[in-house]
Amino acid sequence: MNTMKLSLVAFAGLIALGSAPDASAEGRRTNTLAKDVAVRHRRLLVKNRFELAPLFESTINADFRHVVGGGLKMEYHLSDMLSFGVVGVASTALNTGLVDKISNTLLMADTGPTNPEPTQDQFLQRLNTMPIHGAAYVSLTPWYGKLSAFSQAYVAFDFYFQAGVSFAQLNSDCTVCTDTSEGDPENPTHTPQPKDDAPLNSGGRAGLYLGGGIHVFLNDFIALDLTFRDYAFSDNPSGADYNADGFVGNSPTLGDDNRFIHHIFFGAGLSIMFPTAVKRTP
Amino acid sequence: MKPLRMRALRRLPVLFVALAVVGSAAIAQPKKGGAKPPTPPPKGGDSGEIEGTKPGAKAPAAGDAGEIEMGDPDKPQPSGDLGADLAAADAKDAAVKAEPVKKTPLSWKDILVVVRKPFLKVRRTELTPMFGTTMNDNMVKHITLGGELAYYLTDVLAIGVEGHYYIDTFGEPFDLVARQARRLPTVNKYNWSAALDFHYVPVYGKFAVLDRKLVAWEVAFTAGIGAGQSEVIPRDTKFPGFTNLLIMPNVGATMRFFLSKWLTVNVGIRDYIFYDHFEPPNRAVGMNASAEDAKANADGALINNVMFQLSLSFWLPTSFEYTTFR
Repeated sequence: MNTMKLSLVAFAGLIALGSAPDASAEGRRTNTLAKDVAVRHRRLLVKNRFELAPLFESTINADFRHVVGGGLKMEYHLSDMLSFGVVGVASTALNTGLVDKISNTLLMADTGPTNPEPTQDQFLQRLNTMPIHGAAYVSLTPWYGKLSAFSQAYVAFDFYFQAGVSFAQLNSDCTVCTDTSEGDPENPTHTPQPKDDAPLNSGGRAGLYLGGGIHVFLNDFIALDLTFRDYAFSDNPSGADYNADGFVGNSPTLGDDNRFIHHIFFGAGLSIMFPTAVKRTP
Repeated sequence: MKPLRMRALRRLPVLFVALAVVGSAAIAQPKKGGAKPPTPPPKGGDSGEIEGTKPGAKAPAAGDAGEIEMGDPDKPQPSGDLGADLAAADAKDAAVKAEPVKKTPLSWKDILVVVRKPFLKVRRTELTPMFGTTMNDNMVKHITLGGELAYYLTDVLAIGVEGHYYIDTFGEPFDLVARQARRLPTVNKYNWSAALDFHYVPVYGKFAVLDRKLVAWEVAFTAGIGAGQSEVIPRDTKFPGFTNLLIMPNVGATMRFFLSKWLTVNVGIRDYIFYDHFEPPNRAVGMNASAEDAKANADGALINNVMFQLSLSFWLPTSFEYTTFR
């Protein structure tokens, strides 16, 4: 840990050293440009504009099921740097390669309470899906600029960072989960193995939202919008016993197998800015 | 003969300096007769476009449209004093604002301003210690410590060598799958890798941070070919693992942010592609018990090991100079 901290300090120190202003420039006579804004006559590509962006989104770190879907982002830019908005996505779920590898080796039929191994159906039906998710957020756009691609295309871009609240609707439908104790180990219907417990990973969730992305403006009012989004909320994607207490629960007192999980998505959208005409700074 | 040549060589700089002093003094002197008084601005005209013609000059003929006069020999030449220059510029600006603007087919949109690139890389060496982490493997996560040495043949093309040492850790699903599904995952860890890389930089730009500080950046694409080693992590530790030598082509993209003439910060994604061999499903006494037998009956799979990389680059020589055409 000490080595890691030392490395981080050295990294930060080198960046500070490299980005320090030129010492020879101090005391030099400068004109008013030194205190001026970085860019004059700049196109105000986001200020006082409403952004509407149809988008595609997919998880990038799912353990059991990829969540892939489409949705809409609506955002109003109060100023160059500050905006607020909402994003909502409807999704479907695709098994990861890990799920396919595991399920192909599992038993087809339950061999009784002495065998803790789940059947294919018990394993697959307890995995949950995320049909709907989204967030409400405030967004900060501290960086803007322009880039040249292959010395042919010159386009404006900006980087933005978002924070807010996330929400999601989770769903699982286990028809082979015969234990009806619903997370209560004292319930007489409780069976000794957690393999047939109800997954208890359905329902609405709320949590934190973090995002970061880039707008690449194709013209004055259309931009390519690429974003990494982290919807963080309580979840138990496998629907199985996570805390090794012998049953699947969702009670803070009896035992909860849900935990705070980061659901990281990559999204690509096409932002349309309204009004379509842009203004310039002085 | 040699001493005479030396003397002649010593005289040459003196003569050159003397000529330069005389020449610069002559340029600094105002022309005889002094500067002409400014002529009143022409009346009429339309706003919207700025014309670069000298005051008092004849209006350009129709056939002259599209030509730009860059200087006026009749005007007083700059004195070399920055304060006087600024005052003269302010007065000129005021005069330009006062006079009506004449519309011509030529506009400011026809003038392309090409700003020098803030950072040159040609014939420079980039020394890059780097840190990396796995992006697409939830079972076994690797942290890499490594570096790259690259030489820029041009400002956009470079060739380099890289090397990495891997440190592996098990992810949460590795334990969960074993406990919840009663299955021991078959996984390999990576020990090291090295590659010969080619870099191409097609995208560069600049951005303003909080509307104040300008930062230059660029995007480099990389393709390379190399080798590495993976090692089987046995499901049952009583059976030995084995290692695989891998042919590892790689592709990737890196964003580079310029902090100074000798230091950049880089973030990038690299996909190392290889065909790896894994422990066979059945291992028991008499069946794939030895490392040789297990390796001979290993299962193969194409792997994309996608790494996120963070690095600092130190550039040698630490500075650069522009050379411009005359």
